[in-house]
Amino acid sequence: MFKRLRSLFRVLTRRRDFEDRMSEELRFHVEQYTDELVRSGVTPEKATRQAQRDLGSLTNIKGDCREAFGLHLFDEFRRELSYAARLLRKTPGFTATALLTLAVCLGANLTIFAVIDSVLLRPLPFPEPGRLVTIFNTYPKAGVDRDGSSLTNYYERRGHISAFTSLSIYHYGTEIIGEPGSTEREQTMRVSPDFFATLELGPAIGRTFTEEETTSETDHVAILSDTSWRQRYNADPNVLGRQIRVNGVPRTVIGVLPPAFRFLSSDARLFLPLASRAEDRTPLQRHSGGNVIQMIARLQPDATLAQAQSEIDAQNTALEVDDPQAKMMADAGFRSLVVPLHADHVAAIRPTLLLLQAGAMALLLIGAVNLVNLLLVRASGRVKELAVRQALGASRGYVVSEVIVETTLLTLVGGLLGLAVGAGGIHLLRVLGADRLPLGGRIAFDARLALVALVAAIIMGIVFAVPIAWFNLRRHLGNALQSESRGGTSGRGAQILRHGFIVSQIALAFMLLAGAGLLGLSLERAMAVSPGFQSDHILTGHILLPWATYPSAARLAFVETLMDKTGHLPGVLSAGVVNNVPFSGISGKSAATVMGHVLHPGESARGHYSYGVAGDYFRAMGFSLRAGRFLTADDSRRSQRVCVVDEDFARYYWPHASAIGQRLWDGSEAGKDAEAFTVVGVVGGAKQAGLTEEEAQGAIYYPYVFRIGDSVFVAVRTSLPPESLGLTLQKVVRQIDADIPVNDLRSMETRIADSLVARRSPALLAGLFSGIALLLTAIGTYGVLSYAVAQRRREIGLRMALGAQPGQIRSQFLYLSLRLLAGGTILGIIGSWLTGQAMQAVLFHVPPLNLAILAGTMGVMGLVSLVACLLPSQRASRISPMEALAEE
Amino acid sequence: MGKTAELLPGTLDMLILKAVSLKPLHGYGVLVRIRQISEDALEIPQGSLYPALYRLEHKDLIAAEWGQSENNRRAKYYTLTAAGRRRLRDETAGWNRLATAIAAALNTTSEEV
Repeated sequence: MFKRLRSLFRVLTRRRDFEDRMSEELRFHVEQYTDELVRSGVTPEKATRQAQRDLGSLTNIKGDCREAFGLHLFDEFRRELSYAARLLRKTPGFTATALLTLAVCLGANLTIFAVIDSVLLRPLPFPEPGRLVTIFNTYPKAGVDRDGSSLTNYYERRGHISAFTSLSIYHYGTEIIGEPGSTEREQTMRVSPDFFATLELGPAIGRTFTEEETTSETDHVAILSDTSWRQRYNADPNVLGRQIRVNGVPRTVIGVLPPAFRFLSSDARLFLPLASRAEDRTPLQRHSGGNVIQMIARLQPDATLAQAQSEIDAQNTALEVDDPQAKMMADAGFRSLVVPLHADHVAAIRPTLLLLQAGAMALLLIGAVNLVNLLLVRASGRVKELAVRQALGASRGYVVSEVIVETTLLTLVGGLLGLAVGAGGIHLLRVLGADRLPLGGRIAFDARLALVALVAAIIMGIVFAVPIAWFNLRRHLGNALQSESRGGTSGRGAQILRHGFIVSQIALAFMLLAGAGLLGLSLERAMAVSPGFQSDHILTGHILLPWATYPSAARLAFVETLMDKTGHLPGVLSAGVVNNVPFSGISGKSAATVMGHVLHPGESARGHYSYGVAGDYFRAMGFSLRAGRFLTADDSRRSQRVCVVDEDFARYYWPHASAIGQRLWDGSEAGKDAEAFTVVGVVGGAKQAGLTEEEAQGAIYYPYVFRIGDSVFVAVRTSLPPESLGLTLQKVVRQIDADIPVNDLRSMETRIADSLVARRSPALLAGLFSGIALLLTAIGTYGVLSYAVAQRRREIGLRMALGAQPGQIRSQFLYLSLRLLAGGTILGIIGSWLTGQAMQAVLFHVPPLNLAILAGTMGVMGLVSLVACLLPSQRASRISPMEALAEE
Repeated sequence: MGKTAELLPGTLDMLILKAVSLKPLHGYGVLVRIRQISEDALEIPQGSLYPALYRLEHKDLIAAEWGQSENNRRAKYYTLTAAGRRRLRDETAGWNRLATAIAAALNTTSEEV
């Protein structure tokens, strides 16, 4: 069988050789025969004639030989292909419209599918990634949905949960890498020794971390990413044992990861042991996650998620027996959830992506309907030709295969163009921020996408062929010839089909437009939310001070010097420091205990945003003062424990009293009197995670000295355009310490705009889709009505000859289009309501059915459809009775 | 195919296989050889010879090779393949069984019934 296929392939590729040799063989036969006849005494002329006559028709014999070789099917296919290509070339207007429609619709779908494929579908690059899970603590009643895991959780769980083969923790970080004078800040990950074992993908060279390397005295080792190994060490195979300086401290390289290693969306170039002290691992620290440390685990091959969950629950319950915090945590709704790693990582973006794919599919459907309508119109124009050919013996199978070849040729070329559009679309998505999506770095134009395009094109070609073939076969021969000779009212079925298509097209475009409107309105409403401070004219930057060279005292001194120097820069109005600026992309809440506040039954302790501030932070950020005073630079130098809270905090704890003079402790437990902070001011509430953050959990601002964190964010209010101050700020920091870079330099307004990218980009795409949908609908409506007018030329001419006014004719067609529009709009409103419901997850303060948007959509749809109808109607009213009746 | 009543359907392939089993032949040679071995009793319709040859070649029962003819012309020569040899043997046996059976049936006299 294989051999035969190979010989067929050989013949097909050397088709000309086959034909030449067949001719030669037959010529040889004729000559041999002629020779023999001549030898037996026949005259040469007679001999040649007889030889040819005895052999028979060369064309027939050759045809039979080709068929014997199985070539006739290919020949037939080739003939149909060239026929289809000729037909398409003959109607360039139709072909161009069809190809453009296909290119745009397929391109849009391929673009979105490329994102869906890389983000949602393609598995994580580890062995059996489906068994990887993440586990995190949640305290829903305290307003903390996600708090990561604690070191204690890790040490208590590993080896004790039988549903897991392996369990490990990690946290992301950035460190200053390199020799003094040539340092760079790089993404890193700190991981527990079993991290690589959990992923089942470890170093290509060298070893992983050991249990002994998990204390800060013994953790002077590092594992390089493949990129880092190639760039920093030029892929040196003897890199093991070399020293690499991290935050100024030398570490020994003990391993290099394989090129394929990429943990979720992390760009980490260096992996360090997650070191901790024994006191960080005690039961008292069980709930101190703070969403910094994350836990992953690998399920046993036969274990289920539910089994793992119940084991974790059982262990939590057992541990709570002698946990003094147990009651409080139970009130906060504490649980540790086990969820699939991949799904969890992309959970936030999933609904938006699916929504966009649905939008692209709707677009494709509109385009497809358009094409089928155009093809139907075309087929109606060829009814007579086809009837004649069928009468001459063209079989039903032949008619069908001819249609399939034609539509598939069309969709394949369209698919090719669609791939080009898709490549452009992926580029556009990058501009719109797609590579910042979780796993968005994997988005690529690849063979998988090309295959999807090919399959989609073939399927579409066959689907398109169905109604056309049905149309071609349905009519009886005689009937067709007759009806065409009468100047043609086409079958009622075809007309209903075409009108049905227009109605569904209008409905789909309506839904797309309304959906885009909802997304746009949602974006507008999100943008209208005040961040809680005056966000203009603020420049912010992120400075990471390594603990090794900057212990607490040195940090304070650094901040003091920084404030002193920036405060005196020209154009700077005020400058401040905070350990987490709003819209930084980082958010973690921590507990506070208010003196005299008794939790009533069912109430749980709450998580609040807690900041350490220095310099003139509140003025720099443009906070409004509600009562008391701001914290000033002096508060960090004095030993008095004071703090400022925001109005949400004040309203929650002291709804009927002044907050000023009230006292609270930092942490989840009441401490000594001397450790309590006195509230000296109340400021306006500010958004931390994003403008659409709904829960106002309250915030506390402590003097920097009492809450020194890893990060230092500097905020500068300036009279200049904020970005123009960036270089100056970097220079100031470099003057203090040449090895400390300033990262993430962005104006506050840019930060806010960037935080909305997950709303803006989908809204833009949906807008683009609905624009294309409108255009397609207009083309479709115009095409079908033009056809209806052309088809009824004689009838119209007759009626006008009998005295009908042009206005009557025009309104007849306008009435038809109004009916189609009304049908489409009714279906569209129902559809919009359903899509609005489905979109609730991604909408912000927008109901599924918004009257203004519906009215706007109806207006736009109505306008576009009427314009599309007006031209053909006008043409109908201008038909000259003489000409129309004289035709044929 | 089968325009001549003398040639039963399916027998042409068998005859071609037999002809080329004796010695490699070109198409015209096959025609001559069949005429010769059947002592002019069988006349092959020339029009169906070549499609039959192509069909057998496509089924790998015979193999084709270009060579020199007796009068120094380029010609396509057919030889029997191993599969063709097996097929010829089977068909010959099958044909003989059938012919014997039919002959026996036709020779039956009324006494033997």
